[in-house]
Amino acid sequence: MTFSSNEVFKIRLRSITGIWLRHAVAFIRYWKFVITWVLVEPVIVLVAVGFGIGKLVNSVEGADSYAEFVTPGLIMGSAMFHALFETSWNAYNRIENDVYETALTAPITVVEVTLGDVLWAVTRSIMTTIGVASVAVAFGWLDGWLAFGILIPSAMVGVLFGTMGFLFSAIAPHTTFLTIVFTLIATPLYFFSGSFFPLSTLPDWVEPIAWLMPLTPGVHIARGFALGHLDITHLWAAVYMIGLTIVMWPLVIYLLKRRLVK
Amino acid sequence: MSEQSESDRHQHKNALAVSLIEANNLYRSYRNIAAVDGISFRVETGETYGLLGPNGAGKTTTMRMLSGLTPVDSGTLRVAGIDVVQDSRSVREIMGVVTQHDGLDAGLTVYQNLFLYGFLIGLSKSSAQKRTHEVLEFFNLRDRSKANVYELSGGMKRRLAIARSMMSSPTVIVLDEPSTGLDPQSRNRVWEELAILKESGVTVVLSTHYMEEAATLCDRLSIMDRGKILDEGTPDQMILRYAPKEVAQIRVAPGSLRRVRDYLNKHEIPFREVGALLSVTGDRGANPDISELNGITGVKASYRAGNLEDVFLTLTGRELRDG
Ligand SMILES: Nc1ncnc2c1ncn2[C@@H]1O[C@H](COP(=O)(O)OP(=O)(O)O)[C@@H](O)[C@H]1O
Ligand SMILES: [Mg+2]
Repeated sequence: MTFSSNEVFKIRLRSITGIWLRHAVAFIRYWKFVITWVLVEPVIVLVAVGFGIGKLVNSVEGADSYAEFVTPGLIMGSAMFHALFETSWNAYNRIENDVYETALTAPITVVEVTLGDVLWAVTRSIMTTIGVASVAVAFGWLDGWLAFGILIPSAMVGVLFGTMGFLFSAIAPHTTFLTIVFTLIATPLYFFSGSFFPLSTLPDWVEPIAWLMPLTPGVHIARGFALGHLDITHLWAAVYMIGLTIVMWPLVIYLLKRRLVK
Repeated sequence: MSEQSESDRHQHKNALAVSLIEANNLYRSYRNIAAVDGISFRVETGETYGLLGPNGAGKTTTMRMLSGLTPVDSGTLRVAGIDVVQDSRSVREIMGVVTQHDGLDAGLTVYQNLFLYGFLIGLSKSSAQKRTHEVLEFFNLRDRSKANVYELSGGMKRRLAIARSMMSSPTVIVLDEPSTGLDPQSRNRVWEELAILKESGVTVVLSTHYMEEAATLCDRLSIMDRGKILDEGTPDQMILRYAPKEVAQIRVAPGSLRRVRDYLNKHEIPFREVGALLSVTGDRGANPDISELNGITGVKASYRAGNLEDVFLTLTGRELRDG
C-alpha cells in the first residue's frame, strides 16, 4: 500500500465538509431517537450520581461537592462514547452499506473521508458536552466562564476517540466484534479515568496505568476548567492526547485503505 | 508507392491519436490468483464500450480499476490522458461511476442522495440543487424525490444510482452491470436512458453478462473470460467472426429426445442441449441441415440468427450463463 503524495498534501476542504454534511443530515433525520442519547441518557447518569451518590459522599479533593467533582468526568465519558460509537459502530455500517465506496467514486480520497468522519465525531462530542453541561449548570454543579473551556478537552476527546474507533471498524469482520470496543475500551475507561473518583484512591500499582489511559487526560483537563484551577499538568495531558492521536492516525489510514480500496 | 506512404501516414496518425481510455496490460491479483490477467483495450470519445463475460470474468475488478477504487498491480491505465495510478482523483472529476451494488445511502431520501453527492463533489449549494432537479427530471424520478431509498423498486434504485453518477456532468460514465437483477421492463427503461445519455455525447463503459444488453447498447465490446479479453469488435463483427449465421432450435418431446440425439451424433452435427431445447449450430456459416428430423414426431424446429452467446460459446466452449 502506498501513500501517494497527492493524497497527503492536497486535502480538499469540501470533501471533508461534504462527508460531514452527509452525516449531519442523516443524523437530523432521526433526531427524536438520537436526542435521547445525546442528552437524556447522560443526564440520567448525572442526576443519579449527583443526587444519589453525591448524598453519600461528603467532598472530594478540590471540589465543593461530589456532584461538582463528577460532572466534568461524566461529560468527558459521554463525549468519548459518542465519538467512539460514531467511528466504530456507525462507520462499520457505512463500510458494509457501501456509503464510503460511493463517496470514493467522487473525486475525494480515503484521508478526506476519514477527516470528515472524525470531524463529525467531534461534532457529536461537542453536542453532548453542551447538552449535559447545560443541565449541570442548571443544577448549580458547573459555573463560571472558565467552564466554557471544557469544550477544548471535549473536542480533543472527540478527535482521539473518533480516530480510535476506526481501528476497530476497519478490521471488524462483523458487528459482534465491535462489542469489544465497549466491553474492553469504553466501559473500563469510563470508570477508571478519574471520572467517578480521584485516581489517587486506586492501589499504587494501578494508578500509573490509569494515568496512561487515553480518557484520563481529557477528564483531568475538563476538571481543571470546571473547578477553575489549571496548571502545567493540564498542558502535559493535552500533549499526551495529541500525541496519541498522531500515532494512531497513519495506522487508521492504512487499515481503512486496506478495507476500502481493494 | 504513394499508396504505401498514404497508409503509413494513416497509421502514424492513429498512433498519435489519444483514446479517451487506454488500458495496457492491466493486471490485478488476489492472493496470487489473477482477477484481471493482462488486458488491453481502448475506448474512444463518445463510444459505448462493453465488457461481456460471465460471473468471475474480472469485469468488476476492471471497472473498479478505471476509477481508482481498486489498485492496479501492473500495467498502465490512462483516462483522458491522466494516469489513473498517479492521480485517480483527477480521473474521477470527469468520470461518473455506478458500482455493482448501487451504493445508495439508505439513511437518506432520493433528493438527499443526489444533492449531498453533488455537494461532496464540490458543487455550490445552488448548483447542486439545480443539478439535482435536472437529473431527477431526466431519470423521471421527480415525483419520488422525497421517498426513502428503501421504498424504491429495484429499477428505480438503479436509475437513481445512474442519476447520481451524472451529478458531475461527467464526460465518461462507468457502469458495472447496469441492468443485472432487473425485470425486463425496468431493464428496457435503463437501456433507453443510457441510449439518450450516449446521444448527448457521454462516453459509456459498461460490463454485463447479458448478451442482449451488450448487443443493444454497445458500439464495441470485448469478450472477457477468466481475467482475459478473448477478442473485441463491434457486435456484428463478433457475430460474423465467431457465430453461425443461423442456429436451429429444436424443441423435442421427451420421448423423441434419444432419436434426435442419435441422429445428430451420427451425422456429426454439433449441438448443445439446454433443457429440452437443442441448439444446432451446424458448421460456421452454413445452415445446419436438419430436414430429416422433421419426420420425427414431437419435433418442432425454428431458426434464429447467431448471437453473442454463440460467440462466447465458440470462444470458450462454455455458455455465458453458466459462469
Ligand atoms: N476483493 C477481492 N478479494 C478476493 N478475490 C476477489 C476480490 N474481488 C474479486 N475477486 C476475484 O477475482 C475474480 C474476478 O472477480 P470480478 O472482477 O468480481 O468478476 P466479475 O465482475 O466479472 O464477476 C473472481 O474470481 C473473484 O473471486
Ligand atoms: Mg461483477
